[in-house]
Amino acid sequence: MAKVLIPTPLRQFADKKDSVELDGATVAEVMTALTAQFPTLRKQLFTDEGKLRSFVNVYLNDEDIRYLQKDATAVKAGDTLSIVPSIAGGAQ
Amino acid sequence: MIDINKQAWDLMVAHAEKTFPNECCGAMLGTIDGDVKSVTKAVAIENSYTGEQGARYELRPEDLLEADRQARANGMDLIGIFHSHPDCDAYFSKTDLENSCPWYSFVVLSIKSGKFDHANSFLPNADQTAADKEDLTWPKS
Repeated sequence: MAKVLIPTPLRQFADKKDSVELDGATVAEVMTALTAQFPTLRKQLFTDEGKLRSFVNVYLNDEDIRYLQKDATAVKAGDTLSIVPSIAGGAQ
Repeated sequence: MIDINKQAWDLMVAHAEKTFPNECCGAMLGTIDGDVKSVTKAVAIENSYTGEQGARYELRPEDLLEADRQARANGMDLIGIFHSHPDCDAYFSKTDLENSCPWYSFVVLSIKSGKFDHANSFLPNADQTAADKEDLTWPKS
């Protein structure tokens, strides 16, 4: 099983848990298991078309999955997935 | 509402004034009790925007991940993000909105001529099309 860390503001959609242990051989499978267990979390993370929202990054341990095999990245027992937003901005 | 304690607030203002005339950024950690968010620790994070930083900032996701790990290790929550607007008011700009996320409070500090002037907090929506103003309190000294 892999551990998914739930960001504080999303815990209200995940029975107030700060992390969840889930089965899955790939990042996609784990994320599918996560949103199957907590359906209201899906809207926070995915668009209506089923794509991760533009500001959502997923890290496998310390690696951004965009630089691995994206959502096809293999997940092993004991791995940790983190959900981290992209944030930027500026006065102009 | 979001309340920032003196220790965190002093770090945020010092970081913003030191970074002037460029924008600064960082994370706010603390606790959430119902609708009240209490910030007790601020973490200065390097502005990673690769161009002119006078009116832009960018947070590396891995830096935010580290801030979240710090929060978890200390029994706190990652509550929000702060950044500065050098010689501009503390509004939530189109750039801020289009590069935001709906999960956190976004505190903007207005720094004018190198000194703190005022601040506001915002809560962007999931579609990055609007941000509501959030009640913000900090120690007035």
